[in-house]
Amino acid sequence: MQVFRAYFKVMRASAGAISIYVAIFLGLSVAFSLAEAPQETGDFAQTRTSIAVINRDGEAPLAQGLADYLADTSGIVPYPDNPEKLQDALFFRNVEYIAIIPAGFSTDFLSGRDCAVQKVTVSGSISSRYVDMRIDKYLRTARLRHQYGGDQSHEELAAAIRADLAQETPVTVLPSSATNGSEREFVFYYRYFAYAVLATIMMGVSAIMMAFNKPDLRRRSLCTPIPARSANLQLAVGHTIFALGCWSVLVLFSFVLYGRNLLSSGLVWLYCMNTLAFTVVSASIGFLVGSSVRSNGAQAGAVNVIANGMSFVCGVFVPQSILSKHVLDFGRFLPAYWYVKANDAISGLSRPTASALRPIYGDVLIQLAFAAAIFAVTLLLTKERQAE
Amino acid sequence: MFMHIFGYRLKCLARDREMVFWTLIFPLILATMFHFAFDQLMGRQETFRPIRAAVVGSDAYRQNVAFRQALDALSRPGEGQLIELTVTDDREARRLLEDGAVSGVITVGDPIGLTVSQSGIEQSILKAILDEYAHTYATITGILEEHPTDPAGLLREIGQRRSYTQQISFSSAEPDTILNVFYVLIAMTCLYGGFLGLRNTTDVQADLSPQGARRSVAPTHKLGVVLYDLAAALTISLAEVTVLLAYLVLVLRVNFGNQVWYVLLTCLAGCIAGVSFGAFIGTFARKSEGVKTAILSASSMTMSFLAGLMIVNMKDIIARKAPFLSYINPAALIADAFYSLYVFASHRRFFLNIGLLLLISAAMCTLSFLRLRRDRYASL
Repeated sequence: MQVFRAYFKVMRASAGAISIYVAIFLGLSVAFSLAEAPQETGDFAQTRTSIAVINRDGEAPLAQGLADYLADTSGIVPYPDNPEKLQDALFFRNVEYIAIIPAGFSTDFLSGRDCAVQKVTVSGSISSRYVDMRIDKYLRTARLRHQYGGDQSHEELAAAIRADLAQETPVTVLPSSATNGSEREFVFYYRYFAYAVLATIMMGVSAIMMAFNKPDLRRRSLCTPIPARSANLQLAVGHTIFALGCWSVLVLFSFVLYGRNLLSSGLVWLYCMNTLAFTVVSASIGFLVGSSVRSNGAQAGAVNVIANGMSFVCGVFVPQSILSKHVLDFGRFLPAYWYVKANDAISGLSRPTASALRPIYGDVLIQLAFAAAIFAVTLLLTKERQAE
Repeated sequence: MFMHIFGYRLKCLARDREMVFWTLIFPLILATMFHFAFDQLMGRQETFRPIRAAVVGSDAYRQNVAFRQALDALSRPGEGQLIELTVTDDREARRLLEDGAVSGVITVGDPIGLTVSQSGIEQSILKAILDEYAHTYATITGILEEHPTDPAGLLREIGQRRSYTQQISFSSAEPDTILNVFYVLIAMTCLYGGFLGLRNTTDVQADLSPQGARRSVAPTHKLGVVLYDLAAALTISLAEVTVLLAYLVLVLRVNFGNQVWYVLLTCLAGCIAGVSFGAFIGTFARKSEGVKTAILSASSMTMSFLAGLMIVNMKDIIARKAPFLSYINPAALIADAFYSLYVFASHRRFFLNIGLLLLISAAMCTLSFLRLRRDRYASL
């Protein structure tokens, strides 16, 4: 048992570096789930594009009416009339549309002169067309009401326009699709799970391996009465317990965060299976890294490059649907690709049927095959090094 | 003397392989990953595709000529096409909707209704189209009831779908949010130059390293030693950032605008800030080397995070919610300098950023030199 006990002593010494990834991941998950808007179910929710409205025409009823109408139908983000600030807002997509009602617009419009609302948009985007429609609709109605509606004051005109625009088309939402799979909040948690578990386990397992592989320490333990087989076995048990511990902390935390939603989805066991497979993969990679690096600096470098690299290329940080085909073709040669693929498939399930589950099992098996291959390569490497 | 100290310092720093990894190789790897991850999103022109919709071809639909004409006008191929229409029967329309082949199904009745499978922008546009029809209808009936003077003119006016919006632009640059990630990556690399500055302070303080002790007894002026070391660290840091910049511009084709000298000036100011930041931490945090490295990497990561390395619009959130932070955060200043070069024609904001960067660097350098000078050691 000495080796096993020493294992957790070493682990305690590097607990800070190991837990940092879990802590960051859990902190971000909490932040995201708090920021998440409450789920919409059943009813139709009209999209409200974020826009900024700059009204340079002041109190004129028509301009004010247009600004009010836009405020009612879109998400207004208040901004001062400052081109630099507005440009920032558009660049960072705080608003997708900036509408500027020029000074004297109402007078020009009502006297029939050519005039237009100025817009600054991301050209050609779908949401900008949506806002265009709103502005055109308001002003076309204004034109009709003004030209053919007889004498009326500007206030009456604005009121008449609003009355015309009050009609709403009834919308039915198909009941079967009330919960849309890909929008469930824990989907993101389980995608980023891959990064957290990979970084943590790599860090932990490799830290232990490095400690036990220090040449002097190694030579000393070789001449103890504990047989090598038993020592290695105790190390293996230690790695297993550590990996399972990381996995269960992360899984339990998802129950805490998403409790009822997650449990009632009926997908928990699938998520558990997939994450467990990836945990095995992470342990194997940690094993490989631990037996190849010598210094702490090299270890930190390896962990960062492998965890970040795999997460970027395989679709953990950026969804696979956004990645280009070349990147995905390359990602196929890495285990995280299959994890994310299975995860996406699980998240898209509405009912687990045998035919839908078969590809998921396949992805899980591929991950396990990767793990086995990496373990085998590592054992081969260590064997060769021992012979030296 | 300068060439001697400077030259050996260069060799010392450049041969520290771990340092070169974190300050050069790691940023290059990150840049490559960002490139692969955001490849599809970069510089892509958003294009509007007509929305697919089905309409139930009932008797009510066939009899409602005005509505049919309105839909035809909107689905005519060309610049103004909003929808791609399929006329079909009730069951088929529903199947198309369930398969996701159309975004919504229009049913003509009283009133005209829409069936969708989920909420979204396409569904909202379909609803807006139907709303518009209902609104126009309300306007016409309203006007004809109250002032039925010129019905023909009214109908003619409706036929002219005039547009009342006009695209203008604050800047000639296409807003591409992803660019900021690469700007912050350079900022992070500049700040990682702090590792070089940190190493310098370790090697010059007699209680921290044997080299420091040896150099303290040498008859060279301390200010000279510190400045020459600083110059060496700056040279290496600038060289590394330039390599990264060249990689970004020439290999990954990231758009930094075409004002080369201003871009290089930003890199220089960023490296000065990074190296002096490292020197500052090295002299003021009286802790072990490991702790200092941890403080440096954690703080440069935090600054890069606040400038938008992990969350693209973080920089803007900070600029609006806590503007003070973005004026003292070197990473945000560097990224904003690149951004203002790319977006704005005038250099006012650019020079504000550079000025603040240099001011912060000068303050940190002065403080750390004041801390270093006249150090006396009772025994070593």
